[in-house]
Amino acid sequence: MKQARRRREHALAYGLLAPALVVFALFVFFPLFKNVYLGFFKNPPFPGLPKKYVGFDQYRDVLTSRDFLESLKTTALFALLTVPVGIALGLGLAVVAHQQLKGIGIYRTIFSSTVATSVAVAAVIFGTLLSPQVGLLPWLGLTTEPPILQNTSWALVAVAVTTVWQTLGLTFILMSAGLQSVPDDLLEAARVDGAGAWSRFWHVTLPLMSPTIFFAVVVGTIFAFQTFGQIDLLTQGGPLKKTNVLTYFIYTTLRNQSDPGKAAVLAVALFFFTMLLALAQIRLLERRVSYER
Amino acid sequence: MSGDRVSTRADRRRRVLKTVGRYALLTFLAVVVLFPIYITVVSSLLTPAQISRQPPTFFPTHPKFSSYSDAWSGAHFGTYLKNSFVVTIVITVGQVVTAILAGYAFAFLEFPFKRTLFVVFLATLMVPFEVTIVTNLTTVSDLGMYDSYAGLAVPFLATGFGAFLVRQAFLTLPRDLRDAAALDGYGHWRFMTRVAVPLARPAVAALAVFAFLGAWNQYLWPLLVTKDDRLRTVQIGLRQLSGLALGSPNVVYAGAVIAVVPLVILLLFFQKHLVRGLTSGAVKG
Amino acid sequence: MSFRRVLTGGVAIALAVAGGLTAVGAAPTAAGAAGPSCPLKALSKASKPVQITFWQSLPQANLAAINKLVAQFNASQTDVKVNVVSQVSYDDTFTKYKAGLSSGDLPDIVMLQETDQQQMIDTTTVLPSGACAKADKYSFSDFLPRVVSYYTVKGQMYAMPFNVSGPVLYYNKKSFTAAGLDPEKPPASLDELVADAQKIKAAGAVSKAPLGLKTEPGFIEHMIAIGGSTFVNNDNGRKARATKSTFDNKTGRQVFQTLSTMVKNGLAEPTPDSGTGTFNDLIGIGNGQFAMAFDTSASLGTISQFLATGAYPNVSLGVAPMVGASPKKGGVLVSGGALYMVNKSEPAKQAAAWKFLKWLDEPAQQTTWSIDTGYIPIRKAAAATAAMQDYWAKNPAYKVAYDQLLSGPNTVATAGSVIGNYKGVRDAVRDAENSMFLQGKDPRAALKDAASNANSAISDYNSRVG
Repeated sequence: MKQARRRREHALAYGLLAPALVVFALFVFFPLFKNVYLGFFKNPPFPGLPKKYVGFDQYRDVLTSRDFLESLKTTALFALLTVPVGIALGLGLAVVAHQQLKGIGIYRTIFSSTVATSVAVAAVIFGTLLSPQVGLLPWLGLTTEPPILQNTSWALVAVAVTTVWQTLGLTFILMSAGLQSVPDDLLEAARVDGAGAWSRFWHVTLPLMSPTIFFAVVVGTIFAFQTFGQIDLLTQGGPLKKTNVLTYFIYTTLRNQSDPGKAAVLAVALFFFTMLLALAQIRLLERRVSYER
Repeated sequence: MSGDRVSTRADRRRRVLKTVGRYALLTFLAVVVLFPIYITVVSSLLTPAQISRQPPTFFPTHPKFSSYSDAWSGAHFGTYLKNSFVVTIVITVGQVVTAILAGYAFAFLEFPFKRTLFVVFLATLMVPFEVTIVTNLTTVSDLGMYDSYAGLAVPFLATGFGAFLVRQAFLTLPRDLRDAAALDGYGHWRFMTRVAVPLARPAVAALAVFAFLGAWNQYLWPLLVTKDDRLRTVQIGLRQLSGLALGSPNVVYAGAVIAVVPLVILLLFFQKHLVRGLTSGAVKG
Repeated sequence: MSFRRVLTGGVAIALAVAGGLTAVGAAPTAAGAAGPSCPLKALSKASKPVQITFWQSLPQANLAAINKLVAQFNASQTDVKVNVVSQVSYDDTFTKYKAGLSSGDLPDIVMLQETDQQQMIDTTTVLPSGACAKADKYSFSDFLPRVVSYYTVKGQMYAMPFNVSGPVLYYNKKSFTAAGLDPEKPPASLDELVADAQKIKAAGAVSKAPLGLKTEPGFIEHMIAIGGSTFVNNDNGRKARATKSTFDNKTGRQVFQTLSTMVKNGLAEPTPDSGTGTFNDLIGIGNGQFAMAFDTSASLGTISQFLATGAYPNVSLGVAPMVGASPKKGGVLVSGGALYMVNKSEPAKQAAAWKFLKWLDEPAQQTTWSIDTGYIPIRKAAAATAAMQDYWAKNPAYKVAYDQLLSGPNTVATAGSVIGNYKGVRDAVRDAENSMFLQGKDPRAALKDAASNANSAISDYNSRVG
């Protein structure tokens, strides 16, 4: 009886997962495994020409190359520049907007407004804002030499700022959704106990929002590791490969060098690095996350 | 605040000051967030020469709206907007449905390989789309979906992100909720559609917004999987415009604004939904 | 925790799949290449009109000019109907074309940029225009010699030349006057460029630097070709596939040295060659930051429009031939794009494509095209038409790029290089430029790096096409 019910539950679970799994199998894992396979070959630039089996040589060569290691470092740096700042700003806005005031809805709409912009639009906007020829920076007296997007020290920061702004709306929405899981009566109780605003935030709000923040950290990191559009439009990986994040490296390897084998190795590496990072975050963070109340 | 207490004048003044301070902070933040968008709209109404002039123009005294008609016709926005809407709506609905189903399984059901399958779902997040694109193009062609709405939408009908998001939302629901519903005779299906999903509405709405944006902003895939103008989407039009960058940046900005407006309308519409979710305290079981 | 198990499991599956696929993937690919032939006669036998698809890559502004020509062609006869599909940019077009090699969606004619030549040949899907010319007894003798030589590889002409442009020196005559220079005598060599820049800087005639130096590696290639030097070996890759770069020589050093010194001394400021800042060099001339910039002649139309708004009273635009290494033993290269016919199309469509391309390159059409877009007319007969002469008389700046393509000897150096991984080579050169400009690297060392990185890009590609 009980076993039959459990078996029915299993069947239901698999049935619920099936639609997504079919899509994943066809459009995510099949190409991924094909990449693992392609990595063992020196591939011709186009389909139709023969490829040469090289075993693990290509994996070794690509993964120990300076370009790859630099790119990995750039990617990690980019994630460090964008994820904590983005989440902190999003959370800050959400807290500020989480109060009963007349017209607060308007502010909420404004804070979430950047979700309406795409990466492409954000890049067009910031490309202009940051341009030494047409932008605001010279007017504000904020100029770097060389100009910010060609500056080896500042280009990545500029792309990070663009990214944080563009994702701010989404982070705000996520954080606001998380804030509503914090019961007002708990906050009220803390207030009655004499806790100040900061203490209430630190000891009540933050712990209760931990699932949301955890989610934002994991997903944000993964997305940061896949940043592509703003790099393509603002810096093309330059200057001197200082913004050559892994996804962009893969893209140019595929599109400019027409080297599917090398691109495949990079893709597999990116996959495993993100995977390891996400799993590490899940192990480290999920223990501190309180789902129960 | 207790109503019996007689508030002194100083008290009242402090309260007023506090409210003013709050509005000042909110307004300042709003200006910072909105500024880039504002300057884009302004720039779309200037002439190319005005755009590159120092100091920058913050208010168009003689707005030129012709950039909008140039952008509209230049980027085939009539057809492209329609295509974008069709594809985006299909993808959004697909992603929301598959995410709810999968998220429910992960949050409320016990089954063998649960942890493994969850990791598999997460793993899909880590495969950058740029890498799968060539293989997927062949797959879509083999399935006979090249140059069709199906080809544009099907590869994106499910995401690990969505399942993850919904699972997280479901997990924040009190555990005893399910038991209580079971006592009321609710099966899984009814519990999911009547209780779980409504309570997780903010997360679902956030997912819908996110799915919509992702689909709306696709560029490379629609370009590769369509034959010609018939099925192309807005972002392709936008890129076609940016070839003009030197001669008419104002048209590029106008195109950007046109591409963003549908999303702003959607946001205003959804915002109500989100805000209602945020303020009703729906989850306080 | 089952994470480790999942991971190792994943690898095991991956390897298993890889093993399974090897057997399938090892199947030989049959490529039936029996010498290019042009099925001219197929058109007469086919039912009319034969529909052909033409992928074009130019931005919106030029699309109108293409559509005009195509409409004119479609109306002029009933055998062939051309359908234009815009693919946004050269890069996007080639990406889509390569994807089409496996998905099967290929056009009958495709427009690609000049640097794609070797790769396009390597796809083995080109119907050489030379083959059709031979079958049709068509002659390219009226075409500009440098255009013909650019698109001839190992004795075969593959592309049909169409939209040709070239680099020119844009300068602000008023800055020249302010610096006591003759505004009608722009610099003609790198040395003169430096001398003029020094005077402009000393006179304070610009707010940033005398030269806005776009880090476009192609400009370096032009400068080297003007000095009469090749860029890669095997006669710039025309005799046999290029295997090595050749620019780490006296000419290359002169170019690198000069540019590096100019940037170091504040005579030049680097500007980006792609992305949102692509035209910062020209905009900089507009708002007085620069007095000079190298850029493609294809930008002349837009920059003129931009300046003509009346917002820039301090700018009077001059256009001069490209500056390069001395002694001047060569000339500038052909830039822009070209059209390729695709041999995967049905014979009737191939013949139809040839008919259309032949028409497109007729003097009258070339004249229209050139006047509408600013591209260089590629035939002497087109340049001689009354319409073209009339236009040039009114707009002499548009003639500069044409004249410079005819100046200097035609050698393997001025034919331009043919490289499979052209983008890889250009990345190497751009990185070298930036290492000099941004990090003050010694030009000799930078040049050496550029050459060796270019070499590995070349050999890597070559090893993969077998």
